[in-house]
Amino acid sequence: MAVSVDEAVSAGPTPDRPPPARRVRRRGHGRSVLEVVLLTVLAVVMLFPVLWMIETSIKENRDVYAVPAEFFGFTVTLDHFRDVFVGADGGRSALSVAFLNSVVVAGVSTVLATVLGVPAAWAYSRFTLKAKKDQLFFILSTRFMPPVVVVVPIFLMYRQVGLIDSKLGLILIYAAFNVPFTIWMMKGFVDEVPAEYEDAAMLDGYSRLQAFGKFTLPLLVPGIAATAVFALIFSWNEFVFAIFLTSSDDVRTAPPAIAGLIGGTTVDWGLVAAASVVFALPVLVFAYLVRRHLVAGVTLGAVRR
Amino acid sequence: MKDPVPLTTDRPGQVVSATPPAPGRSRRRLSDRGLAVVFVSPALLLLLGMSVFPLLWALYLSFTDYSATRGGPARFVGFGNYTAILTSAQVHQRALTTLIYVVGAVTLQTVLGFAIAYLISRRTHGRGVLTTLFLVPMMLSPVVVGLFWRFMLDAQFGVVNSMLGSLGLGQVEWLTRQRTALVSLIVVDTWQWTPFIMLIALAGLTAVPKYLYEAASIDRASEWFRFRTITLPLVWPLLLIAVLFRAIEAFRLFDLVYILTSGGPGVSTETLSFHVYKVAFLGFNTGTASAYGILMVLVVIVLTQLYLRYLNKLKEG
Amino acid sequence: MRHPKRVGRTSVSGRKVRLATAAMLLLATTLAACGDGQDDGTKASAPKAPATIPELTKDPLTLSFIWFDWPPAHALEDFANAEYKKERPNATIKVNTVPNANWHDAMFTQFAARKTDFDIAILDSQHIGEAVTNGNILDLTDFVKKNIDVDAYNPYLLAAYGQFPQAETGKRDENASLYGLPLLGDTWTMIYRKDLIGDKPPQTWDEMISVAAKCQADNPGVSGLAFHQANGSDAAAVTYNTVNGVYGGNLWNAKDRKIDGVLNDTAGHEAMDVLVNKMKPLTAKGSGNWFIDEVNAAVAQGKACIAFNWIAASGGLLDPKQSTLGTSREQILGKLGFATLPTQKTNLVPLGGMGMHVSAYSPSAQQAEALNFMRWFEQADVQRKWAAAGGVPARTDALQSPEFLNAGPFNQVYADSVPRMRDMWNVPEYARLVDIENTGVNAALNGAKNPKAALDDIAREQQGVLDSSNRKGGGGL
Repeated sequence: MAVSVDEAVSAGPTPDRPPPARRVRRRGHGRSVLEVVLLTVLAVVMLFPVLWMIETSIKENRDVYAVPAEFFGFTVTLDHFRDVFVGADGGRSALSVAFLNSVVVAGVSTVLATVLGVPAAWAYSRFTLKAKKDQLFFILSTRFMPPVVVVVPIFLMYRQVGLIDSKLGLILIYAAFNVPFTIWMMKGFVDEVPAEYEDAAMLDGYSRLQAFGKFTLPLLVPGIAATAVFALIFSWNEFVFAIFLTSSDDVRTAPPAIAGLIGGTTVDWGLVAAASVVFALPVLVFAYLVRRHLVAGVTLGAVRR
Repeated sequence: MKDPVPLTTDRPGQVVSATPPAPGRSRRRLSDRGLAVVFVSPALLLLLGMSVFPLLWALYLSFTDYSATRGGPARFVGFGNYTAILTSAQVHQRALTTLIYVVGAVTLQTVLGFAIAYLISRRTHGRGVLTTLFLVPMMLSPVVVGLFWRFMLDAQFGVVNSMLGSLGLGQVEWLTRQRTALVSLIVVDTWQWTPFIMLIALAGLTAVPKYLYEAASIDRASEWFRFRTITLPLVWPLLLIAVLFRAIEAFRLFDLVYILTSGGPGVSTETLSFHVYKVAFLGFNTGTASAYGILMVLVVIVLTQLYLRYLNKLKEG
Repeated sequence: MRHPKRVGRTSVSGRKVRLATAAMLLLATTLAACGDGQDDGTKASAPKAPATIPELTKDPLTLSFIWFDWPPAHALEDFANAEYKKERPNATIKVNTVPNANWHDAMFTQFAARKTDFDIAILDSQHIGEAVTNGNILDLTDFVKKNIDVDAYNPYLLAAYGQFPQAETGKRDENASLYGLPLLGDTWTMIYRKDLIGDKPPQTWDEMISVAAKCQADNPGVSGLAFHQANGSDAAAVTYNTVNGVYGGNLWNAKDRKIDGVLNDTAGHEAMDVLVNKMKPLTAKGSGNWFIDEVNAAVAQGKACIAFNWIAASGGLLDPKQSTLGTSREQILGKLGFATLPTQKTNLVPLGGMGMHVSAYSPSAQQAEALNFMRWFEQADVQRKWAAAGGVPARTDALQSPEFLNAGPFNQVYADSVPRMRDMWNVPEYARLVDIENTGVNAALNGAKNPKAALDDIAREQQGVLDSSNRKGGGGL
């Protein structure tokens, strides 16, 4: 069962099974058409909200509220995208500050989780540690705590050390949520690099640490990149901790800032849509970059094939 | 499963070319054990500090009537908070809502996700493109998903009702009727997470060795028979993992409720997570909220244990 | 799998010992840390602000406010930076804004943290009790005596935004302490379509309902009414409270802390019946989660005959860019009328708006600056300028000034409404009381509960909250 995700997700034909149409003749053809139709319908349904979001982001506000909804033939405007970055007074908008905060928080927490997680993953893969399995499962289970529950004691703890409403506080909690993932995901990648390489290097006189640094680590770089990207996506999208642990414009990340666009005195849906598009773009690009590792990525590294 | 998954990294050939250090250069080396401790402990310390410690703190507070704003000493109330929660009709109502939501959403996602994966696996062309397109919803932030569906489901100018209108169907109050609000929540969650099940099911489906099908086709086995005896048993374990994973995530659901319905109409879409939030931040009844949270964690632990056990079986089998 | 199976099963005892030690250590630290947490919270009442403003710093200083994101917040920042700077060139004003739904949580989580990134909290009048009881804001009684001309105000306005314990409707208790000063006055205005129902607004609640019904019947696609129904913030609760007041009901008996039997008396039930069975059928389908912005959108899109909204949130209605009612302010004003609420058994209207309150956790230099700002802000000429800048002042002279009355078509409505105002409870349990009422009224409006049962449940649950202070465990459920 040694099949990588690549096959499932990679583009291009994968002729490892004869198409069913060859075996079942006429009825098979009709069925094939039906399947294509079904798939198309499902794809349209799944993608429509995304398309509608993009369309709304380039509509003028009076078209946004039009009943019946306008699908084509509206005036295209990029004003909403300008409003995402430029404030009403011509300066930087609060949203753009929030985007910047998101970049900092997601970036630093990812680096932290990677720096802590990768060596741990290597150690878990290579050495026989006491209760290794228990440790690993304990590590994974911390990732499943309901955020709303964790936020209460975290709040009390941060209050003691003055981390409430600070980027560092968010960075730490995101790193703590990403470390389990990084360890599990990276352990899989380390397992794939034969330990014999390190053994051979050590026979040549390298220390274990040098062998890791010189031979294993370079081979892990693509895996580390993929893992980091998933950690980045998590921190980028996170909402619960962000809304309860931050309150000022200087610290607030993008998700609560976007959520804050509704509930004023008027809702500018065009702006909400434009902000959402801008916010989602990096994630989609990143997800595309790591498409080979998606299965492992979305199951916290627990399932890999 | 003996041989490792094909390396996604570059070829290991380069290893040979590196020059080894001069033999005999003696340096104080960390023992393997020491190295392991040095490498593992920072990560474990962070987890202890940020996950275990807060949880123990919450455990302590759950036996008190402590309030984060009122201050004052925490009075010890024994299991008072726990009995109050377990006997509260309010909590039972939220538990039922959460259960309906988890079962409804996860079932729908599994059926749909598996169906899409099956359909994609039967295509020979364009699989990659199709898969990538289907995965988009899953990558979006729940905030974006929630806001956007709220906009689309608006009874007056939302595009969903607008389309229903042009089909000659009446307006539906998606977010403001008891039944439809919960259905909307399930639909939106399904929209976002069907790709997750699809992705994992697809990984399972493409892993079914083709010779099994060939053997079956020689035996002239019916399609349904082949599906039932070959495909399903092989995909089932992976699918189960996906389902458990989704169940855990769905059980923790907060953000979508917060944005889509904020629990309404009335409290009919309040999930357990949302209720904990209200207890913790409206009245700042930190003690009660902690007990409530601990109980939720227990449920999650049970689910996680199931998840891990299956994972274990899968890896060993 | 590469790693051997079942590693470490051999050293069970060693592991257990280590785990136990770690757990004990953690628990010890936990207890120690918790102990720290409680020492600073034992004071049960608010610290006092000095009667005279301490000497102000000459260094550059930023005075921070916290409010929710709406036009008055931006107006305040612009106004204060333009005007206050003339007196204090080294001071910069920053108004932090949070989403409305997050407003209470954002302020009180910071209070709970004993560290605030704001110096002046703009609390809703009902938040005062919670903040005072927890010692989160300064007691301004002495400061007000020395620096503020209390006779220049309608006594109830002063009481509503500052006094605790709560004042009786319409009055101020001279002996009670003050914890805040008015920043922005507000109440509901009735917004009506002059082109659809005529220039003269309905005078009684019954008349209003029948006019709305007729208008809805005459104008397909336009609904008779639009008002707040959402279950967040205080949306649905204010709506019910308003109808309750108009129909002669009471929210509670403050003296005996009784809600059950008071809120759901005959008048209370009649009000709920009017709201759910007479008013709700005249609203748009799916309007059950509407709050300020949705009501505004309905009016701007020409989809409502009569709407109710907060005055401070109504400015956007006159903006031609957001409206389909006209291409200029004048054109829109030709179609939209603003009036005080109709009366029925009483003429009560809801008290809205917010006061300024000084954070107890702000550094003393900032607190001094905050006090100075408040003294400055409450002067007659500044209040007029604030009115001209789009704010709603509280001083009687400013309310009667042409600057205020000409600044917006709804300002006369506010001036006329001042003597008619009634507020909610401002007890420490406010956040929970309002949540119970919000969700209950929202459930009744959306058919999730029948109105009678909903009101009885609200009264019973609210009473439970007021009575639960001595219960052992489970508080907050």
